Amino acid sequence: MPTIEIEEKVFEIDGNGFLTKPEIWDGEVARLIAKYDGINELTDQHWAVINIIRNNYEEKGMAPMIRQICKGTGLKLRQIYELFPLGPARGACRVAGLPKPDGCV
Amino acid sequence: MEKTDDIKIKRGLDVLNSHKDSKLISHLNSCVHCGLCAKTCLYYLTTKDERFIPARKVELVSSIYRRYFTFTGRTFPGLVKARELDDKTVEEMVDLLYGACVMCGRCVQHCSIGVDIEYVVRKGREMLAEMGYVPGSLQSTVKAALETGNNMGISYEDFVDTVEWMEEELQDECNDTEARIPLNEHGKNVLYTLNPREPKFFPLSISAMAKVFYAAKESWTLSTNMYDVTNYAYFSSHPGEAKKIAQRMYDEMHKMKAKRLVLGECGHGVRSNRWEASNYIEKEFPFEAITSVELMAEYIRDGRIKPDKERIKDTVTLHDPCNLTRGSGVIKEQRYILKNCVNDLVEMTPHGTDNFCCGGGGGQLAMSEYNDRRLKIAELKIGQIRKTGAVIVATPCHNCIDQLIQINVTYNLNVQIKTLAEIVADSLPV
Repeated sequence: MPTIEIEEKVFEIDGNGFLTKPEIWDGEVARLIAKYDGINELTDQHWAVINIIRNNYEEKGMAPMIRQICKGTGLKLRQIYELFPLGPARGACRVAGLPKPDGCV
Repeated sequence: MEKTDDIKIKRGLDVLNSHKDSKLISHLNSCVHCGLCAKTCLYYLTTKDERFIPARKVELVSSIYRRYFTFTGRTFPGLVKARELDDKTVEEMVDLLYGACVMCGRCVQHCSIGVDIEYVVRKGREMLAEMGYVPGSLQSTVKAALETGNNMGISYEDFVDTVEWMEEELQDECNDTEARIPLNEHGKNVLYTLNPREPKFFPLSISAMAKVFYAAKESWTLSTNMYDVTNYAYFSSHPGEAKKIAQRMYDEMHKMKAKRLVLGECGHGVRSNRWEASNYIEKEFPFEAITSVELMAEYIRDGRIKPDKERIKDTVTLHDPCNLTRGSGVIKEQRYILKNCVNDLVEMTPHGTDNFCCGGGGGQLAMSEYNDRRLKIAELKIGQIRKTGAVIVATPCHNCIDQLIQINVTYNLNVQIKTLAEIVADSLPV
């Protein structure tokens, strides 16, 4: 099982860097993964996106549509792409501790 | 890895033993070991690891064929380097055929005697698929498509909600409250298809194509039942599953009574629907199946849309999706579109039928297992893009786009990445 080490903390990940045990996720893990992706500080806007993704995952077992993220946060599409340069899946869902979504992402 | 057993081995060997496939037998037995393919392969070029040489992949499948289906191989396997289909061989096949091939077909293009290496790789994958050895993350994408009708498991309500949202965007953009994204309308000229990642995460390409349809005054529709242009069973190479997915699109065209099936910007989606589907379902398409790239080129040629190239002044380069160029013969159309829609187009070297894969082909993007290799082989594409000095990379394939988004960040490329529909829509005066 591949692992990733950020600030001396080690996490088990799949090859794409998504957590293999989403249940170990917490705010600190989010901060560390974001930092690994070059997002040095998680702003309130980042957190709004992360919380919606995380809640949807815990309720429905999958990532929400980008539509729900925009509705729930009031952010524009382009703002979300800017907040997470790797995109909603590889960027935001990974920081929110989800397993990798299926498909071309 | 789960161990092999007699039933699995029989299933795997049956793929090689099919009397229907004379092509496979000739291509398995024709390699002259000249080695030209080595320098065409992304994996070999970026790692210099000899295991990755395309001919080695052919030899792997061929050695199993010899062991079970030739006299010398059965009697003196050691003499002809014939290999048993055992756990060790299966492990190597999974690693090399799924994990170290983007199915880009570049080796085929350069093979001195025309061995269809990619086809042999697909047959090797088919053996593994029949035996139950498709990598988990790839199979989960196939499973989502089979169970939910699209490879990201998007519900009907979520899809409709997103399309309505994009319809509002379209109306704002066109300043016309009558501009529409039609759903489930029968008897239209065009049934349009999408990659599910568009509605799920990147919907602006939907409103962009809708703007092109609006400008061309096209009669078109999307179907909520079947809009998914992808067929991931093409990558896993499970013929039964590929057939089920291909059949759905065929049935939907009949149900919607549309004239033309227009395949969205998805390389393998184009190839699997246009060229492979008829083989999967063993029926000819009685309708026309074309790519949205060809359709947009047709609109420009016929004067149905009038792009203004002065609207896009940044330098643009084009990434050719392998399945669209080498795989489907769509080469001139994307260039014709860009020459009409942007001010400054710079080609990569090499391009067209000799292009390099982005690194995400062959299902690699879906397979987490081989992520590090996928990023490594992207070095060639990174170098090509850098040399063009382009600010925008256009590519008519959502799979390529996702790989490009990732390597853009990983390698600090600083480019924008767009679909062709987005470029055309940007170039259209409102």
